[in-house]
Parts: sequence; C-alpha cells; structure tokens
Amino acid sequence: MQQKESRQENYREKIQDIMSRQSSKKKLIDRIMSAVAIVCVISALIPLASILIEVVKNGISAISIEFLTQPPGSFFLGHGGIAPAIQGTLIVVGLASLIGAPVGVLAGIYLSEYAGNGIFPSMVRFFNDVLTGVPSIVMGIVGYVTIVLLLGSFSVLAGALALSIIMIPIVVRVTEETFKIVPNSIREAAHSLGIPKWKITLFITMKSAKNGILTGIVLAISRITGETAPLIMTILGTSLFFTSFTGPIDALPLRIWRLASQPYESAHSQGWGAALVLILIVLILSVVLRLLVQRKAGFKINRATF
Amino acid sequence: MTRLLDLGIDRIHNIIMDMAKLSESSVLTAIESYEEGTGLKRQIFDWSEKLRTLQEEVADLAIELIARYQPVATDLRFIRSCMEISYGFSRFGRYAYDIVDVLETMGSISDCDKSTVLEMAGTVREMIQLSIHSLRLRDKDAAQKLYQMDDTVDTLYRKYLREIITLKTNQDNKFTDPRCYISALLILRYLERISDHACYIGDSVHYIATGVSSPRR
Amino acid sequence: MSSEESFNVDNSSLFKSLNDNTYGSSSATIKHYKLSIRNLDAWFGAKQALKKINLDIMPNTATAIIGPSGCGKTTLIRCLNRMHEMTPGAGARGQVILDGIDIYDNKRVDPVIIKRRIGMVFQKPNPFPTMSIYDNVAAGLKLNGVKNKGLISEIVKESLEAAVLWDEVKNELDKPGMGLSGGQQQRLCIARALAMQPEILLMDEPTSALDPIASSKIEELVYNLKKDLAIIIVTHNMQQAARVSDYAAFMYLGELIEYGPTNQIFKNPKKELTERYISGKFG
Repeated sequence: MQQKESRQENYREKIQDIMSRQSSKKKLIDRIMSAVAIVCVISALIPLASILIEVVKNGISAISIEFLTQPPGSFFLGHGGIAPAIQGTLIVVGLASLIGAPVGVLAGIYLSEYAGNGIFPSMVRFFNDVLTGVPSIVMGIVGYVTIVLLLGSFSVLAGALALSIIMIPIVVRVTEETFKIVPNSIREAAHSLGIPKWKITLFITMKSAKNGILTGIVLAISRITGETAPLIMTILGTSLFFTSFTGPIDALPLRIWRLASQPYESAHSQGWGAALVLILIVLILSVVLRLLVQRKAGFKINRATF
Repeated sequence: MTRLLDLGIDRIHNIIMDMAKLSESSVLTAIESYEEGTGLKRQIFDWSEKLRTLQEEVADLAIELIARYQPVATDLRFIRSCMEISYGFSRFGRYAYDIVDVLETMGSISDCDKSTVLEMAGTVREMIQLSIHSLRLRDKDAAQKLYQMDDTVDTLYRKYLREIITLKTNQDNKFTDPRCYISALLILRYLERISDHACYIGDSVHYIATGVSSPRR
Repeated sequence: MSSEESFNVDNSSLFKSLNDNTYGSSSATIKHYKLSIRNLDAWFGAKQALKKINLDIMPNTATAIIGPSGCGKTTLIRCLNRMHEMTPGAGARGQVILDGIDIYDNKRVDPVIIKRRIGMVFQKPNPFPTMSIYDNVAAGLKLNGVKNKGLISEIVKESLEAAVLWDEVKNELDKPGMGLSGGQQQRLCIARALAMQPEILLMDEPTSALDPIASSKIEELVYNLKKDLAIIIVTHNMQQAARVSDYAAFMYLGELIEYGPTNQIFKNPKKELTERYISGKFG
C-alpha cells in the first residue's frame, strides 16, 4: 500500500510541476490569441463600415421625394429619380424569388428526405455545388440565349430566370443542410404515431427547419438583388416604368452602373443615392422577413435546441 | 466474477455453518450429559445464547443484503432459507439447554432406564448430521429421508408414552422413581422437536435447490 | 409458512392482491393472446439480430424484455410496430399477429396505419420542438385527419391525465413542450402516444435517461395503463423489470431464452443462463 501511495504522489508532483510551468505560458498565449482575434474582427469590419459610411455620406444628399418617385430625367441637369429602377428591382427580384425559392426548397427536401447517397443524388449535389460557383455573367448569357432570343426582346422574364438560376443552388444547399440538422428522433416520433412520410416532412420536420431555410432564402434574395451582370444581358434597362413581363425594365444595379458611367457630377450623386436605396431595400427585406418568422414561430426558442 | 452480493452470501453461509457446528455440539453434549450425568448446564446455556445472537446476525445480514443488492433467484431463495435455517439451529441450542435444565431439576437419575431416550437420541443425532450435510451439499432429497426418520422418532415417542400409561394402570410392583419417567418424557419431547426442526431444515434446503417448497405433513 | 401454499399458483399471491386485473391462473387456460410473435427473424444487412422468436403477449399486462446489450431487445420491439424496416438495410421475416391479423401481411395491413394501434415511446424524450404541450399531444390526431376540435381537446386532457401530467401542465398547455423537465417530457411523449388510443404500447428503455423520482412516476403510470393496454417494456434495469412487469422475457444474442411470469423468472428461473444474467453474474 505504501509503495502505491508514494508512486501516486510521485506522479502528482511531476505532472503538477509540468502543468504549472505551462500555465503561465498558456496565459500569455491566451492573451495574444484574444488580441489577434480582435484585430481580425476590426480589420474585417473596417471595409464594411467604411463602405456604409461612404454610401450614406454621398448618397443622402440625393434622396428626395422626387428622387424616389420620378423617372430619370436629364443626366446633365440631375433631374428626375430612379423610381423605375426601384420598381424594376422589386419586380424582377420578386419574380425570381417566386420561381427560385419553391424550386430550391423542394429540391433540398428531396435531397435530404427522399434521396439516399446513390449515384443520382450525389450527382445532383455535385452539380448544385458547381452552380453556386458559376459567374453570374454566365447566367446572364443563359437568360439571353433562352428567353431573349426566344421572345425577341429583352424582358423581365429573362432577368427573373437568370436571377432564379443563381438563387436556386443556394436555397437547395441551405434547405438540405437545415433539414439534415433536424434530429432524426423527431421523425421517428412522428412515424410512431402513424403519420405518413410526406406529412412528417411538410408539417413536422419543416417546422423545425423553417427558421434556417428562411434565413437562407433571405440571404439568397439579398445576393440576387445586387447582381448586375446577368441583368445587363437580360433586361437591358430603360427609363420607363414597368410595361409587361415580356418587355425590358430597369433595375437598381443597372441604374447605378449607368449613373456611375456618366461624366457628370450630378449623375454620380444620383448614383450614390441609388446605392443607398439598394442597401436600404435589402436591409428592410431582411428585417421584415425575420420579424415574420419570429411571429409565426410564436415564441422565442433557443436555436440550439430546435 | 465476484459480485458484491457474493461477499455477503459467503458471510451468511459461514455464520450458518458455525451455527450448525455449535448446535450439533450442544445437542450431543446435552445427550451425553443425560447419559453420563455430567452437569454442563452453564456451558450449554452459553452456547444457546451464542446461537441466539448468531441467528439475529443472520437475520440482520439477510435484510441488509436484500435492501442493498436486490438478490434474485437462487441467491434470494438461499437468503430466505438461511433465515429459517438459522432459527432451526437456534432451536437446537435451546432444546439442548432445556434438556440439561431438566436433568438439573431432576437431580440424579443414574439408575433410570435410559434406553428409549438413547435410542431416539441416536436417530436424532443422525438427523442433525444429515440436515447439516444436506445444507452443505444443497441436497434436495435429504428432506425425504429426514421425514422418514422423523416418522420413526414419532413412533418411538408414542410407544414410550403408551408404555408409561399402561405401566400406571398395570400397577406394576416394581416401583420406579417417577423422576425417571418424567425426565425421559420431557427429554423425548425435546428430542422430537429437534427432529421436527431437522426436517424443516431439509425442507429449506429443498426450497433453495428447486424453488418449490415440499408439502408439510 | 401457509402463504407458501398459494405460491403454487402461476401468479404469486403478492401480485394477485396488487393486480386484480392481471391474467390470473384460472383464466390462463383461455388462449386469448393480444399479440403473438411467430418465428420472427430480423437482420441488419447480413447480420442476423433476431433468431426465431416465438412469444405470446397477454392483453392488459406489462411484459418486460430484459437481456444484455446487443441481445436484440430493441430490435424486437421495433419489429412489433414495423419500425425496424425503416433503417436502411434492415429487414424482418416472420409473423406478428395482432388480434388474429399478421401485421407483416402487406396485402392486408398498411405499415403506416398499423402504428396507430401499436404506439411507441423512445429512450430519449422527443417532444416536437416547435409545438406547444397541447399541440404535441394532439399532433397524431390532427395530422391523421381528426378535425373536431372538441374531440381533440377531450382526448388531449384524457391522455395527459393517463400520463400523470395533467395536473402539472393544465394551466400551461400553450407553453412549448421543450420547456418541461426530462421526466415531464417523457410523460408528454407517453401522452402523445396514448392520444392515438393504441392497443399496445411499446416502451424502449423509457426511464433510462431519467432520475429515480421521474422513473418511479412512469412505473406507476405503467401500472395504471395496464387496465386499457398491453405494455411491452424493454429495460436493462432488472429491478425495474421486476417491479413493473407481470411477464418477463429474457433474450440473449438474438434468441429468446426464457419467458414466463415475472415472479417465477426472478424467484426460480428455469434456465441456467437466465439465472446467471438476473443474478448479475454476467452482462
């Protein structure tokens, strides 16, 4: 017994010695790591903050009722507004979402709940990931080649299509991942009550996944709202308000680009204003959707416990 | 794998075996006392007290094991039976004491005819040994034999009883000391009870082995 | 020792006084089984998990299934409500006869619908996280087409009462189900299963994640539920099996080793292997 005790004491002394020597070093490393992390955060925030400040600083002066409700006037004089662009953005993005969100969600549900890990689903997932990386100008070309050439004119439809193709892979990814995170025990519990699979997916699993999916959709919408390249080749951009789905239309990113390319100061000023409006639209969109989700959920649930 | 319960079971087993030896000695010494006329009342009294204490110990240990370890099946049956068996051994000790007490009360009975008592004592001694043996080996068939031997004990007892009664009515001239008959009768009674308890021990062993109690007669 | 005499009967006298509605010895001669398992085999891929299981479950009883880890007890009950085959690569063959109809007969039985008659409670409580207490209990009913709000409300109340949870939650039915303690959540899951009015309730180690007080509440609950259902409990807690069940089935390596009234299994098991397991000599 004696020997065992002294052996334990021996080890205890040795390791405590080592560990206490390490701990003072560790504290220093801890502090260094914290400092580095904070520096990184700040350096990440600086560009973001500076952009916002620039936009607000330069754009706020252009905002006025006329700016927000009138069609563009003379660039030189700095009259008119960007109302058609605002309307156009809302319509094209709205249409793109109406196409992209349901398709994306349903595809994501298929991949998560119904497909296994066979050849076909794996290929779908692979190509989905590839699509997320395709440059948006290519989507524009696709829109051009399919709808514009088909209909013979630049149109809202083409723009919506191009944007929806950008949106779909993002939504598919988010939906699949979110559904996968929902613990299987919930599906099992629902199964044991004799509920058919499609009802389980739509009414039970979906309820847990809803938050995540909506967040993903909002992110996707924010992304496509700012896309310029695909719009160039599909909607053309005009100074007129919306006429028909098969006709051209203006959009904020296009308008900003156009205004920025002008040599006139007044146009630049309007450009900043348009940029500010665009950012505000995306912001409002996020906030509104978030509020809707919270209210539907009824009560604040700790995210971690689903 | 030694379970925690096994330590307790072994301990109960050891106590029971100690009680077995002690009670056997008590009874044998008491019978010897009767035969030889030696007065060992003090010693047998001490043994009887010891047996009583050990019986309490067995009962306490048994319920401790039940409360702590939730024994089942054979272990549970063993524990339950040990409570009964320890009572049986303590009874042996008590009757041994009673026998010696009779001897002391009666005084000298060296001239009495001790044959019947000694005959029954022989059978009873065998029964005690058989019951202890069956306990050690968990022999479920011993109960059967023990009941057979119990029958002979009962028969012997009734025979002696009848003899004494008819003796009185016969008005035999040979006047014998009434103490002989009284002491013999009392001791036979105690021996008969010892044989009953030996049978009960056989029953308990049968229960440990099979889980079924043999029908009492 | 006279109390021993009555031990000759199949059900011990102790349980006779406690369980007046238990299948007593006199009526055991009526072969009216609620659930009969015949030659049931089950696999996970190539590995056979159940080997020729034959077992009869009486109505209005609690049957415990005991055995060391990996003996197949969870697989067995998952076969009883056709959840086993949901695992990829898993399969089963044999008959499970509920009131005369084999639930594996796909021509006559829909594997989804049969689960309404055979309910299940899982080891880890799993209330639906986004739903209130009321909605949790009502979920099975609502999603299976029951629309009558009054009826649903009555059933919810009755189920929560049967699960001994009503008094604790009656004023908070719209609070989230996940806000309850572990023991309460498990009782909520039991209420949810009971709402479907099942005839058999399968419980897979229902108290292994709970503290002793919560566990004993659920054991009392089981005792009361026997009036209406047959209950099959898988448990690795031998004492719980001994406390709660009328019949016990001991399984080892996918086979049914012994099955009989609980007091017989725990006092005088017939098989050596059973004795060794319940005495704690292995497993």
